[in-house]
Amino acid sequence: MKKRNSNLTAAMFLLPYGILFTVFVLIPVFYGFFVSLHKWHILSTAPQFVGLTNYRDILSDDLFRVAFLRTAYFVVMTAPLGNMLSLLLAVGLMQDFKGTPVYKVAFYMPVVMTVSVVAVMWRWLYSTEFGMLNYYLGCFAHFGHAVVPGLVSAQSAHVPWLSNPGTAQRAIALVSIWWGAGGNMLIYLAGLKAVPRELLEAAEVDGAGPLQRFWAVTWPMLRPTTLFCMVMSVISASQVFGQTYMLTGGGPYYSTLTVVLYVYQQGFGLYQLGYASAVAYVLFVAVFMFTLLQFKLLAVKR
Amino acid sequence: MSKGKGRKRAISAGSIIAQVAMILGAIIMVAPILWMISTSLKQPTAVLTPQPHWVPNPPTLENFAGLFTKSEEFPVVRWFINSLFISCTVTLLVLLVTSTAAYAFARLQFKGREVLFMVVVATMIIPGQVILIPVFLIVQKLGWFNTYLGLIIPGLASAFGVFLLRQFFMTIPVELEEAAYVDGAGPFTVYSRVILPVAKPALATLAIFTFIGAWNEFVWPLIITNDISMRTLPVGLMIFQGRYSLEYGTVMAAAVLCSLPMVVAFLIFQKRITEGIALTGIKG
Amino acid sequence: MAFVVCGCGRNGESTRAAGPVDVVFWNGFTGPDGTTMERIVRSFNHDHPNIRVKMQIIPWATYYDKLTLGLAYGGAPDVFILHVNRFPEYAYYNSLNCTDDLVAKGGLDANDFVQVAWKAGLWHGKRYAVPLDCHPIGLYYNVDLFKKAGIVDQNGNALPPVNLAEFLQDAKKLTKDTNGDGRPDQWGFAFTWLRTNSYTFLGQFGTGLLDKDSRRADINSSQAKKAMGLMADLVTKYKVCPSPEGQDAWMGFQTGKVAMAMEGVYMLASLEDQKGLHFAGAVCPMFGKKHAVWAGSHLMVMPRSITSEKRKAAWEFITYLSDHSIEWAKGGQVPVRKSILDSAEFKKLPVQYQFSKELPYVVYEPPVVPYNQIVPFADAAFEAVLMHVKPANDALDECARRVDKVMNRQ
Repeated sequence: MKKRNSNLTAAMFLLPYGILFTVFVLIPVFYGFFVSLHKWHILSTAPQFVGLTNYRDILSDDLFRVAFLRTAYFVVMTAPLGNMLSLLLAVGLMQDFKGTPVYKVAFYMPVVMTVSVVAVMWRWLYSTEFGMLNYYLGCFAHFGHAVVPGLVSAQSAHVPWLSNPGTAQRAIALVSIWWGAGGNMLIYLAGLKAVPRELLEAAEVDGAGPLQRFWAVTWPMLRPTTLFCMVMSVISASQVFGQTYMLTGGGPYYSTLTVVLYVYQQGFGLYQLGYASAVAYVLFVAVFMFTLLQFKLLAVKR
Repeated sequence: MSKGKGRKRAISAGSIIAQVAMILGAIIMVAPILWMISTSLKQPTAVLTPQPHWVPNPPTLENFAGLFTKSEEFPVVRWFINSLFISCTVTLLVLLVTSTAAYAFARLQFKGREVLFMVVVATMIIPGQVILIPVFLIVQKLGWFNTYLGLIIPGLASAFGVFLLRQFFMTIPVELEEAAYVDGAGPFTVYSRVILPVAKPALATLAIFTFIGAWNEFVWPLIITNDISMRTLPVGLMIFQGRYSLEYGTVMAAAVLCSLPMVVAFLIFQKRITEGIALTGIKG
Repeated sequence: MAFVVCGCGRNGESTRAAGPVDVVFWNGFTGPDGTTMERIVRSFNHDHPNIRVKMQIIPWATYYDKLTLGLAYGGAPDVFILHVNRFPEYAYYNSLNCTDDLVAKGGLDANDFVQVAWKAGLWHGKRYAVPLDCHPIGLYYNVDLFKKAGIVDQNGNALPPVNLAEFLQDAKKLTKDTNGDGRPDQWGFAFTWLRTNSYTFLGQFGTGLLDKDSRRADINSSQAKKAMGLMADLVTKYKVCPSPEGQDAWMGFQTGKVAMAMEGVYMLASLEDQKGLHFAGAVCPMFGKKHAVWAGSHLMVMPRSITSEKRKAAWEFITYLSDHSIEWAKGGQVPVRKSILDSAEFKKLPVQYQFSKELPYVVYEPPVVPYNQIVPFADAAFEAVLMHVKPANDALDECARRVDKVMNRQ
């Protein structure tokens, strides 16, 4: 390769992506911070520079605190549970039972649904009067009551999943876990398949049972996969929007308010672009810090 | 916990329990989807019953037919075409711009190559909503608010695509390119005649993921379009549900229609998708 | 006729273009309202061959977002409706067209308008909007249930309550547990839209979301706590009203399970379709110290950037809508033109006529620019108090805190 042409050639190859990247990724990162330093209503023709006032307001904004805590709670509820489920499903697929291809498709099918379909589907399932979930819960209650009369009351379940502050967040967490389990399952499956069979067989020869083999051999080798999946799960859980936007709108009484939803509501519901940008930036810093923390905790020892 | 192929498959209690668990698990995972389909095929009066019936009796397509009579206010077909057009265009363009950039990062020598690549990769962990509002303002300044350009162009700078393809390109034997250079080919010819054909699997994987991602985009089309005719399918479904929220049969029919393309695509490209995901997981 | 120098810059007269002028009209009137408005638009287009009004109905839930983005980034309509509580925001950010010159030239007589609605279209002394209607909430009551319970006047007609004492007495008689399962199957009263009901109670106790100057929150004042406390007592202490959680109160009224409800005049059409329901309308009872009811208004506005040619046509449409607001009233609205309110034709509309008696003491929501930011706090507080999510005092204090924070940022 001729050296004197290489910079020019590289520039030509990089140009299309470079322009798009600069205009739609790089500049916005800084422009967003610029916007966050203003009082900027969508309709205002002359946004007003206010320095760090928006950030100061965020510190005293108790709704932001609510959104932040709700998001953190949501991450803690869904990332570990979801990953455990994905791993469990992957382990199940590894057993290579008859019908595994069908199982694989069944487990992955929710991932293929788009967010509005998932929201619409679950809104119907969670319906207080006519939802399938409440019906089956009622059935179990009846069954349990028939078996152990004193312990369970025989009432048809009338749980107002999405309109009760106590249950709404758990309801959305369940949707997220159901929706995402299949995705990580495939990654865990690949990770499981990459575990060298010789190591496992050696452990078996040494008399280790299935559970011991898992902990001693498989689990350590899965570390990079687990790290990857957990990091991605945390990042995606912290950005939950579609389900909360469409199922509860952040309610009831702010119990499902998440940070991205708060950003959207501030920016496109209340038209406060400056304040919304500031909130987004605070979330960015938080997620970034947490990701670094995860790397430190789960990093592979060399 | 993997049993080797040579191992006798014990019909143990544990194995039976595990299989039953698998079956139950599969049923539970798929149940919501089946319920959605079942509701979409029910007559409106049969939908709101206290006791759910899984098999519609009698089954009817009137909910689906109803979607088309409502199409003046809710142009479902137009939404579908929008989504299709945008997803296809985005996929083609992403392949184009990321493969050229990835080739530059993988094979061309230039000043600042490593640093620039680090910058690109670093942006992968930036949460989308951080740049949502600034990109919105930039797109509006360009005059692309409520246009196809506004829907397509901003999402093209896929750092993930560049990352994926660069990793793959670096595994291609250098001898292939050197042979081409010896024959007098320029960088562009090497790129298009040598690299791209060999990279087909990675390109196909990226294409599929990009297509699915573009199809499922929700927040961006929500804020960048204002006319009902410019909406994409996921956003349109949300709007449709807002209007017909209590007519569950109709809404489920719309939801089924929305999922059909993705389900079909998944069933056809299953292998590629699972392989591709595995690829990302291992490399990540 | 006074000439108002408004300094808003009249655009020069342009030559008439060939063909009818298109006027794009946006509103959120879905349902029967929309059908009524469609009729009026059709008759306007028929009477004005040189103007063609194209109406687009966008459900209120997404209306304002679409409108704001359109006004900011292109695609705004020529005439659109604003609720009176959203008007200050759009006026403040200069999105609206000043119409002082058009009013001064004639076509609309300021003195023919109900003053509270007419004044609502002013911003800093200049006119940007013309009110189309005023829609207060009023008392809907089930005539059959009243007669069955013996709550009638000397002629045997159902007699609605006018104050708290009568209201409680009647509601108790009307709350029945007919099948003995411990839960009433018929309720004397039910809360429909918490916001409008709460604002009515607050207003009757001399308070509101904000204080008289519309500067600071007043929703945690002692009067406000009394008002909200009374509402909560209707559920828990007097037990004449079900808890609003998960309840479709309006459907309860439609199906004869609820005897009284306070809802807007605009809900009339949904009752007229109900077979077997014999209902009537009356002014809201006085639960507090004074007469007050919540009301909204639909204001007709034009965007600031409208061309002068379209402006003329749009203004003709606006004045037509106002002049013909009797047609709009028939669909379930109260007009704000005194001449129409006094007409025999209007007095024949039973519910609308009764509700129009409340016009002297209607209360709008506070006309502040960040209203859209503070009303969710109020809604959440009303919900929290009446559904017992939080202790009432905590909920109201929390709301006041949040409201004050936003108001102080202005």
